Amino acid sequence: MRTQAGAPLSRRRFLALSAAGAATGAASLSGCAMQVSNGVSGPGETVTVMATAEDLSPELIKQAQKDIGVKIRTVLFSTSKLIAMMTNGNPPDLVRGIGAVDAPYYAARGVMEDLDPYFAKSSVLRVDDLDPVNDLWRYDGRSQGKGPRYGMAKDFSQDSMFWYNTALFDQAGVDYPPELEPVTYEEWLDTAKRLTRRRKGQTTVFGGSYNGVSTIDMLAGLTVSAGGSLFTDDFSRVDFTSPEARKALGWYIEYCRTKVGPSIVQPDPNAWDGPTFQANRLAMSNSGYWLGGLINADKKLAPLARLAPAPVFQGGKRISPCQAGTGFWIPSKSHNKDAAWRVFEWFFGEAPAKARASGGWGIPTLKSLRPLMPAQESYQKRVLKVQEAELKHYSVIAFTPYATADSLLGLFNQIAPAAMNGEMSVDILARRLNSAMNDQLKRGKEQVG
Amino acid sequence: MTVDQISSVAGRRGSTQAAGRSGTRPPTSIATRRHRAFYLFASPWIAGFVLLTIAPMAYALWLSFTTFDGISPRWHYVGFGNYRELFADSQTWHSLGRTGLFAITSVPLSIVAGLGLAVLVNRPIKARGLFRTLLYLPAVVPPVGAGIAFKQVFDQNSGAANGVLNLFGIDALGWLADPYARYVLIMTVLWTAGNIMIISLAGLQDVPRELLEAARIDGASAWRSFRSVTVPLLSPVLLFQTVTGVIASVQTIMPLLLAPDPTPAGITALPQSNHLYMMHVFAEYFAFGRYGYASALLWVLFVLILVVTGLIFRATSGVVFYNVDPEAKK
Repeated sequence: MRTQAGAPLSRRRFLALSAAGAATGAASLSGCAMQVSNGVSGPGETVTVMATAEDLSPELIKQAQKDIGVKIRTVLFSTSKLIAMMTNGNPPDLVRGIGAVDAPYYAARGVMEDLDPYFAKSSVLRVDDLDPVNDLWRYDGRSQGKGPRYGMAKDFSQDSMFWYNTALFDQAGVDYPPELEPVTYEEWLDTAKRLTRRRKGQTTVFGGSYNGVSTIDMLAGLTVSAGGSLFTDDFSRVDFTSPEARKALGWYIEYCRTKVGPSIVQPDPNAWDGPTFQANRLAMSNSGYWLGGLINADKKLAPLARLAPAPVFQGGKRISPCQAGTGFWIPSKSHNKDAAWRVFEWFFGEAPAKARASGGWGIPTLKSLRPLMPAQESYQKRVLKVQEAELKHYSVIAFTPYATADSLLGLFNQIAPAAMNGEMSVDILARRLNSAMNDQLKRGKEQVG
Repeated sequence: MTVDQISSVAGRRGSTQAAGRSGTRPPTSIATRRHRAFYLFASPWIAGFVLLTIAPMAYALWLSFTTFDGISPRWHYVGFGNYRELFADSQTWHSLGRTGLFAITSVPLSIVAGLGLAVLVNRPIKARGLFRTLLYLPAVVPPVGAGIAFKQVFDQNSGAANGVLNLFGIDALGWLADPYARYVLIMTVLWTAGNIMIISLAGLQDVPRELLEAARIDGASAWRSFRSVTVPLLSPVLLFQTVTGVIASVQTIMPLLLAPDPTPAGITALPQSNHLYMMHVFAEYFAFGRYGYASALLWVLFVLILVVTGLIFRATSGVVFYNVDPEAKK
């Protein structure tokens, strides 16, 4: 139907035109969304990095332009935004991720770029210089820790270790843990109970926190420490009813039930240990070396705080895994992989990596940068000695590729509080967790194939 | 025939004649120009509505028939599978029940509180403007800020609420855990009763003084005047507050702002009593990555809100009094 000039616009025609306009608008919006540059790496390139504000400060972004001539555009990290950008065909060029749990999930779905060819050509990031923690970013199509590299950790900690406040131990008349030998988990919990101070229904001093970086990853580690494995060999199921997993689960539920530290039934309003530990209200904090970044900056706290090895289960295996290994990966559909790799090399091997290594917020992920770890003060030397001894017990605990850590943690959070409040036995909890998590894993396996 | 009709007919005649003369542009009538102006001014809203409401809703409807999780390559169409699953999901029913209970409690309480405050600040008291401002102030505070403040005040170990209890020799309570968390949530709603107060105040100022004076001359007490004159005249306002209040309470995300760890996984650690329907939806989307299933949950909620709103209108049709000028109908 031809439009006659001057004829009144009918409602139907107007709506049709509106719809067409909206579709055009949507297409334009989609086109405008996060445009990334194309082509090969070179001066003046722009790389879109999805990161947190802590990962890339404005100063660091300016430094990148000066050092490598690449302009960095940041997008605040958000999983839903990442999904939207990937669905839209315009993924960021570099994405933040937690190696311990994200690497197998994304790699199994084919959205990560295999970085082996880049590592092979790099003179900055040599494979023989990579710390074993970077194996968290490897996935061979079946298991984590082997196969192609899909990313790299920016720094790391062995997250089953714990810091303790000697002043609070002295006040309670409790002996310090041995410097290089691990206590058992049973001893740790007993010590936490003795250190806890309560008054009029309020906890004035928490004996200890033990929640790991992600509770599920922590429970997987506890199970390995007890001599078993939380996941089946093909990672398609969990089994909390095995004796080892049951032991690990029972210990953690007891920790929550006794309320010696923060948990989901006694939440810390800060949502992390730092402020409570700094305020001398937490005697033991389940945090790895990275908490030293906060402790070293507090001149009162630093001489009082000490790092201790990861506990073991009585008769169990001594392990000290990393539950995070936070770093970056390049999406396989990135339009600017070469420039992204240049930023990757610079961030993980050049000036920013050196600055991070000397800051004490984590162990560097290149072995050659270890001499830069802070060791000027006597308390720093003591911490370094404990940390160096602990590195011998590092191992990768493979996570399932069929579910996100958040989804498994979500199910745990929904089911476990009843057991933490003493309204459900650990055996029933174990069965319910198996049922709920195995459903989630089954759905995930169907999606991956 | 009105001037508009005359000009419209003239315009049509002009168009027909002009169309017969090739090469000349037909004159534009006033009615056509008015149509164009109307659509021109309405088009930004309509485009926004189509782009930002209809399109996402249609997309969510499509997703609700799939297993889409945002990343996985093998998502597929499952028909009404998600809808069948959600009706069999105990979490859906439990969260819906808690949401219903929350709406039934918080909406009447906040309306009564808001109306009570409006009556107080409608009286000729000193510093009335100041009281009105102070009572309305919490409604201006961004919900995120209010959430942080409530978390600090009601923290078990360092919060002011337990400090006050301790002063009276009462042991501290775990306000942000079960079973007390639901009361804190209701307090956050009551805290913003200033919103309702403002609307009720406008309604109260619209009540004709002569009616109240007539009631007083007839010997009615203040309470009787309020009950028999003021409340009926305020009934449209109260209906509006009920409908919007129910919709807001069903969609509330305040529990998320009260969560110690407001991350996707942290939301799942909410106390059970605050695990309302929207929290269930949020967890399914962002913690479990089940975009299809969560979209089905949202569509069910949308239909449910339509039904509940319709039921409220129907149930109140006999008791809401519209003070319409009878002449206006002519």
